Amino acid sequence: MQKENNLIISICAVLMLLPIWWIAYRNTNFIADPFVVATALPHFLSQADTWSNIGITLYRVVLGLAGGVVLGTLAALAMNQNKLAEQVLSIYVTTALRTPSAIAAIMALAIFRGAEIGYIVVVMFITFPFMAVGLRDGLKSADKDLAEASQIYRLGSLRYIRHVLLPFIAPFIFSALRNAHALAWKVIVVAEIFGAARIGFGAQFDHAWEYMQMVEVHLWLLVFIAIVLFVEYGVLRVAERRVFRWRG
Amino acid sequence: MTGTSDTVLKVEGLQVSYGSIPAISSLDFEIKRGEFVAILGPSGCGKSSMLNVISGLLPPTRGVVEVDSRPLYDAGRHAPKLGYVFQAHRLLPWRTVKQNLELVLAASDVPRDQWEDNIDRLLDILHIGQFKNSWPMQLSGGQRQRVSIARALLVEPSYILMDEPLSTLDEVTARSLRQELSGIWARTGATIVFVTHSIREAVYLADRIIILTRGPSTVFENYHVPIARPRAYDDPRIAEVEADIIRRVEHAWGLDPIKQSEVA
Repeated sequence: MQKENNLIISICAVLMLLPIWWIAYRNTNFIADPFVVATALPHFLSQADTWSNIGITLYRVVLGLAGGVVLGTLAALAMNQNKLAEQVLSIYVTTALRTPSAIAAIMALAIFRGAEIGYIVVVMFITFPFMAVGLRDGLKSADKDLAEASQIYRLGSLRYIRHVLLPFIAPFIFSALRNAHALAWKVIVVAEIFGAARIGFGAQFDHAWEYMQMVEVHLWLLVFIAIVLFVEYGVLRVAERRVFRWRG
Repeated sequence: MTGTSDTVLKVEGLQVSYGSIPAISSLDFEIKRGEFVAILGPSGCGKSSMLNVISGLLPPTRGVVEVDSRPLYDAGRHAPKLGYVFQAHRLLPWRTVKQNLELVLAASDVPRDQWEDNIDRLLDILHIGQFKNSWPMQLSGGQRQRVSIARALLVEPSYILMDEPLSTLDEVTARSLRQELSGIWARTGATIVFVTHSIREAVYLADRIIILTRGPSTVFENYHVPIARPRAYDDPRIAEVEADIIRRVEHAWGLDPIKQSEVA
């Protein structure tokens, strides 16, 4: 019942945007007619080109995010183990956290001369500090009582990490992952626009904007929102519900 | 002090210091196999330090700790199996009762085909068989502590340490669990070292009470409880022994200075 209620509330929240969109369309020159956009959507989604552009951006996000998770995890482990490492890495993490996405994108694309790796590095650079800070906080708050119990019952390092530490820091991991994922999508679009990519979500968005193809701009925007919401509600929250099912 | 073959735990000349601050000045005692021993001491006398040492968590500053005639420390993979019932249950909340117990069995290298029987047997003894697949948070405080006792018994330990395991429970639950604990001890023959602040609890449960002095502690007295089993918590003889121990303890621990001034 609770699940159905939540679904109804979510659908209502989305539907509430329609009258706002309609009002905005009637009162500005740059907002497309929602009905025209809705009519164009099936054709837009049936084109192979649409999916290849989504695919390449998704590929960049997934690889960049994976790199950010690995790098962030390593940084968090080092910061948790060693004071000197914490002091040194904190500077990098703080810098990365506060670097504007556009500047990171320009720098990475300049360094890699617009190569594919540049897009992945941008996402990695922007997402890794979120993972590093989130995981470091999780590791620092690890339950010492449970660690003692694990020691007494001789669980060993691997069982302790798998069955005690990881579940304990899971909320920190999910929180960090959620932030990193949201930011990854934002930054990849910026990077694709600034990097003058020929293919990808940002490239198509930029192209449509440049030629004032406002219906297309809106279609890309809708796809963007759909992907982000799907990953959040269809992947992250489902995984979270499964991991935290013990909370009842 | 010479340990005999039925000595499970031998503590000799145990000293624990944190930097220059001594927590335990010199402790000597032995625990025999199958014995139920209570440890009684004032707050701050170093009971936690002693528990940490004899549970293998904290190496002693000086002295010998032997389990089954082998040093507890530096035993590597031959380290003895111990059970521990903490003040708070310390179960993993993300694992069911069964999964919590299975983890300990896996770590103890018990063959998988024996897990089910071992778990069922102990949960039945502790009257919590119906909660096998429950999450710890679905259980009451008393039920969680029962699971914690089951976990300690499951590894067939050389001895079980219990650190005020009933102190966070309401009196009715604690009373019933005390009675059960006495029964479990009688059925399993486990060796139990039970730390408590409650003298009556110590008298009701233990064969012997090791009374410590104020910190940095030493053993003040090995008190053998002169009451045959089975015992009843409200037995007047328990109250008499409790009163006797209070008299001795007052002498060992001295009066609280605030109370002395109140008397004056």
